Amino acid sequence: MMKIVLRIAREECRSLLRNHVAVLGTLLLTVLMLIASLNAWEHQRNSAAEIARYQTQSNHEFESQPDRHPHRMAHYGHFLFRPLNALAAFDPGISAYTGNTLFLEAHRQNSANFGDVRQSSLLLRFGQLTPAFVLQVLAPLLLVFVGFSGIARERESGTLRLLLTQGVSSQQLVLGKLAALSAFTGLILLPAVLMLGVLALTRESAWGMSLVLIAGYAVWLLLWSLMVVFISSLCQRSRDALLGLLAIWVVAIILLPRWVPDLANAAISLPTRFENEITIQKEYLALGDSHNPNDPKFAEFRDQVLKQYGVSRIEDLPVNFKGLVGMEGERKASALFNRYAKKAFDLQTAQNGFVDDFAWLSPLFALKRLSMSAAGTDLQNFRSFLEQGEQYRYNLVQGLNKLQTEKLSYVDDTTKGKENRIDRSNWQTFPEFSFKPSSSWSTLKTALPALGTLVLWVMLLGALTLLQSLRLARAIK
Amino acid sequence: MVNNQALSPAATSVEYVLDAVNAVAAYGSKTILHQLNLHIRPGEIYALLGANGAGKTTTLSLFLGFLAPQSGSIRVNGIDPGTHPAEARKQFAYIPENVALYEHLTARENVEYLLDLAGQRETADTIANSLAAAGLAPAAFDRRVSGFSKGMRQKVAIGLALARKVPALLLDEPTSGLDPQATTEFNRLLSLLRQQNVAILMVTHDLLSAADVADRIGFLEAGRLVEEVAAEGQDRFDVRLLHRRYAGQA
Amino acid sequence: MSTGNQMSKSHHMSWITHELKLLQRAYLSILALLLLLALSGLAVWSGLQEIRHQQTTIARLAPLQAEDLAAVAHTYADAPDAGYPAYYTFYSTWDAPSDAAFLAIGTRDSAPYVLRVRALGLQAQLYEGEIFNPELALPGRFDFAFVLIYLTPLFIIALMHDLISGEQQTGRLRLLASLPQGRQVWFRRTSLRFMLVLLSLIIPVLLGAVYADTSPGALAVILAVIASYVAFWFGLSLLLIVRGWRSVTNATALMSVWVLLTLVLPTLANVAILRAVPVHQGVDLMLAQRQAVHGAWEVPREDTMQRFYAHYPEWSNSAPLPQVFHWKWYFAFHQLGDESVAPQAQAYRAGLLQRQEWSNRLGWLLPGVAAQAILHRIADTDLLAQLAYQDQIATSTAR
Repeated sequence: MMKIVLRIAREECRSLLRNHVAVLGTLLLTVLMLIASLNAWEHQRNSAAEIARYQTQSNHEFESQPDRHPHRMAHYGHFLFRPLNALAAFDPGISAYTGNTLFLEAHRQNSANFGDVRQSSLLLRFGQLTPAFVLQVLAPLLLVFVGFSGIARERESGTLRLLLTQGVSSQQLVLGKLAALSAFTGLILLPAVLMLGVLALTRESAWGMSLVLIAGYAVWLLLWSLMVVFISSLCQRSRDALLGLLAIWVVAIILLPRWVPDLANAAISLPTRFENEITIQKEYLALGDSHNPNDPKFAEFRDQVLKQYGVSRIEDLPVNFKGLVGMEGERKASALFNRYAKKAFDLQTAQNGFVDDFAWLSPLFALKRLSMSAAGTDLQNFRSFLEQGEQYRYNLVQGLNKLQTEKLSYVDDTTKGKENRIDRSNWQTFPEFSFKPSSSWSTLKTALPALGTLVLWVMLLGALTLLQSLRLARAIK
Repeated sequence: MVNNQALSPAATSVEYVLDAVNAVAAYGSKTILHQLNLHIRPGEIYALLGANGAGKTTTLSLFLGFLAPQSGSIRVNGIDPGTHPAEARKQFAYIPENVALYEHLTARENVEYLLDLAGQRETADTIANSLAAAGLAPAAFDRRVSGFSKGMRQKVAIGLALARKVPALLLDEPTSGLDPQATTEFNRLLSLLRQQNVAILMVTHDLLSAADVADRIGFLEAGRLVEEVAAEGQDRFDVRLLHRRYAGQA
Repeated sequence: MSTGNQMSKSHHMSWITHELKLLQRAYLSILALLLLLALSGLAVWSGLQEIRHQQTTIARLAPLQAEDLAAVAHTYADAPDAGYPAYYTFYSTWDAPSDAAFLAIGTRDSAPYVLRVRALGLQAQLYEGEIFNPELALPGRFDFAFVLIYLTPLFIIALMHDLISGEQQTGRLRLLASLPQGRQVWFRRTSLRFMLVLLSLIIPVLLGAVYADTSPGALAVILAVIASYVAFWFGLSLLLIVRGWRSVTNATALMSVWVLLTLVLPTLANVAILRAVPVHQGVDLMLAQRQAVHGAWEVPREDTMQRFYAHYPEWSNSAPLPQVFHWKWYFAFHQLGDESVAPQAQAYRAGLLQRQEWSNRLGWLLPGVAAQAILHRIADTDLLAQLAYQDQIATSTAR
C-alpha cells in the first residue's frame, strides 16, 4: 500500500523536476531566502553593534557629567537603546515600526523614537524582504504554482481513470501527491532551518525558540500543501484549481492581513498622544509641584514626615526635605504615567486579540503571532522594553532624589542663587541598563496556542482532503 | 518474437473471462441496461455495437468496477469487480478512447510507471519487447509522449496491456480517429492477443473494424442486447447485412 | 451617406452588446468585476471613515487645548515673569488631512498628525512618536492605494489570462481567426474589460471625491494615475497572452510578474536604499542636543547670553541677567542648543530626502512604486508631508 503511495510521490517529484515553473520558482525562492537571510543577519549585527556603541556612549556621557545638583542630572536624563533579539534576523516583526531610542528624564515618560517607519519612504509599506516574509507570503504561492495541477491534471487528462482501473486507490493517489508536495516543502524550508540552526548553534538565540519557529513554519507549509492538494482534488480542470488557489492565497495572505487590522482600529480606537498628554499634565499638576517643598499639595506628606522623625520644623529634619518631596512627587507621577501607559498598551493588546481571533479565517494571523513572539519582535516584547525602561528611569530618578535628600542640606538647597553640587563620582554608582527579554515560558504561552490553531487547520484540511479523496473515486464513471 | 513467453497471459480456469448474467444497471431511477447477458471466452474478440446512449460505456463501467449492477452479476475471471475492485482490476487492462498518458514522461517511462502502480515490476527488455510487439517504432521508446499521435499513444497503451499479461482487455472506441492503415495495424495486434488467449471486449461505432476482427458482434439498443452475430466461414460476416442492421436501428 | 453612418453606428453598438452578453455569461468575470467594485468601494469608504476620525480628533483637541491654555494662564497669572507661563505653555499643532488623503492614508497611521510642543528644545520634541499599534501598522493599510496597486492587477490577470487561450481550448480560435476582421475581436474584448475595470475603480473614487470635496486638479491627477496603471497591466497581459500559451501558463507567467513587480523588487529595492543611505544622524542629533543644552549649566551665563545676542541682536539691549535663575537665560540656551545641532538636523533631513528621491527614481522602473509615490504625494501623506509638518511646527514656534 505504502509502496504505491511512495511510487506516486516519486513520480510527482520527477514531474516537478521537469516543470520549469517549479524549478525556476524554487531557485528564485532559495536565492531570495539567501539574500533575505544574509541581509537580515548583517543588518541585525550592524544594528546590534550600533546599539551597543550608542548605549556605551550614552552610559559614558552620563557617568562623566561634572559635579552637579542631582536634580539637574535627573533632567539631564539618560538614553536607552533597544537591543535587537538575534532572531529578529529571521522575523523582524514590528522592529521597523517601533522606535529604538528612549530618552529618560525626570517627571516625564517619553516615547521611543527613530523607528524606520518614519525614516523611510513609503517603499517600506511594500513589506520587508526577510526570511519570515519569504516563508509567509512567497512560499505558499510557490506551492500553489507547483502543486495546483497535481490531481486536477490527472483528472483532466484521464490518467486518473487509468490509475483507478489499475487498482490504485484514490486515497493512495492523494497521499502520494501530498507526500511529494511535502518533500518539496522540506526543500523550501531547508535554508530557514539552516539559518535558525546556525543562530542557535552560535548561541545567539535559544534552541527552544528556534525549534518553535521551525515547527510553526513546517506546520504552515504543510497546511498549504494540504490546501493545494485539497483544491486540486476538488476541481475538474487544473485551470479552476489554479484560479481557486490563487484567490484563496490573495484573500488569506494579501487582503485579510490588511483589512482585519483596519477593523480592529475601528472597533477599538486608541487615544492620541496629544490628548493623553493634556490629561496627564492636568492630573500631574494636580499632584503638586515637586520642585517646591512648600506646595500645599504636599502639606499632608510634610506632616507625616515630621511625625515620623519626631520634629516640628522641616529645617530640623536630618535629611533634605526638598529631596523627599521630589521622591514623593516622582512616585505619584510615575504611577500616573504607568496608569496611562498601561491603558494604551492594554488597548493595543485588545486590538491584537481582535486580530488574532481572525486566525479562523486566515491561518496567517496565527503564524504571525507565533513567529513574532518566538522571535521576540512582537508588541509584547516592545512593551516589555518600555516597561523595563520606565522601571530603570524610576530607579534612576529616585536614586538621584535620594542623593539630593542625603547629600544636600535643606537650607542650602532652598537658598536662591546658591550653587549646590555633589561629586561626579556619584553618577558612576548607577547600574547600567540591561534589557531582559521575555522568559521562554511567557513566550511559549503566546506561541503554543497559535501553533495549536495551525495544527487544527491542518487537521481540518486533512479531514476534508480525505473525504474528498473518497468522493474522487465515485466521481469517475 | 524473442520473448513470447513473457507476453502470454496467465492461464485461466473459468469458461468465460468476461461474464455478465442478467445484469441491470441504473443511475438513480433511470435504468440504463436491462438484463444484460454477455459471455466472452479466452481468446475471443467480442465487439459491442450501438448508438450513442445505448449503454455501451455503462457496460464497460460495470466491468471496470466504476458501477455496481442493481441486480444480476458481473465477473471478470470469476471475480466480482463491484465487491473486489482491486482484485478484479488485476485481471484486465483497459484502454480508453483517448489514451491518457503522462505527458512529461517517455513511452518507456509511462509503461514502467503504470506497471509499477499495478504492482508489477518488469525488466527494461520486457518493456521494450512489449512496446515493440505493440508496434511502436523503437526510436519512439525514449521520446516524451506529449508529441505522440493518437495511434502512437494507443500503441503505448497496448504495450502496457501486453506487459501486464492480463486475461482480459477492455477497449473503448479503439479505432475512432485512426486512419485505415493504423486501424488495420491495430486489428492485427488484436489478433495477436487473441492467439495468446486474451478475452477482448471492444465497444465501438466502427462496423468495418468490428467485422474485420471480431469473433462475435452484439447489437445494443436502448439498454438491451437485441442481437448477436457470430463470425462464420471465410468471409466471417456479411458486412452489407450488418450495415443494414446497424444503420436501421440508428 | 447618413444611412451609412447610422448603420456603422448601430453596428458599433451591437458589438458592445454582443461582447457584454458574452461577458455576462462568464460568471467568473462578472463576479470578479463586482468584487473589484465592492473592494474599491470598501477601501474608499474606510479611507473616508479614517479621515473623518482624524478630523474629529483634531476638532476635539482644539477645545481641550484652549482649556489647557486657560488653566496655565490662570495658574501663572501672578507669576513674577513671563517665563513660567512660557515654560508650561504647550502649543498645539496639527496637520489637517488633505482633500485626497482618504485615498492613500500613507504615513498618517504611524506619524503624529497632532503634536503639542513647548517653545524650547524643539529638536528634542519634533521626533516624538504617536501612540499607534505597530502590529496593526505592519501589514499596511487597507486603502484605495492598496486596492489599486496590489489587487487590481490580480483582477486584470483573472480577466485576461484566458482571453485568447480560452477560445483556443474550446476550439473556437480558428473559427474566429478565419472571420474577416477576426483580429479586431481581441482589441474589442480588451478595451471592454479595460473600461469595466476602470469604472469599477473610478465610480467609488468619484463618489468619495464628491463627499470629501476633492479639488478637480488633484482628482484629475488621481484619475490619470489609475488609468495609466490599469492600462499598464492590460498592456502587459496582452503582451503575454498573444504568445499562444495555455491559460494555466498565462496565469502563472502573469502572477510571477505581479509577484516580482509588487512584492519582490520593491522590498529588494527598499533593502538597497536603506543600506545605501543610512540615517543614524537622528540619534546623534538627540545626543548632541542634550549635551549642548545641559552643558549650558556649566558655562558662565553671560557667555551664553552673548552668544544668543550675537544670533538675535534684536534682544541685545534687554535688561542684564539678575543674580538668580532667569527664564530668559533658560530659553536662550535651549535655543542655542537647537541651533548647535542644526548641521545634524540638516544631515538627517537630507538623508530622509535622499531615500525619498531614490524611491521616486525607482518609480521609473516599477509602475506600482510610481503609482504609490504619486498617489501619496497628491494625498499629501508621504515622507515629504511629514517633513513639511515638522517645518510648519518649527516656523510656528519660532514666532
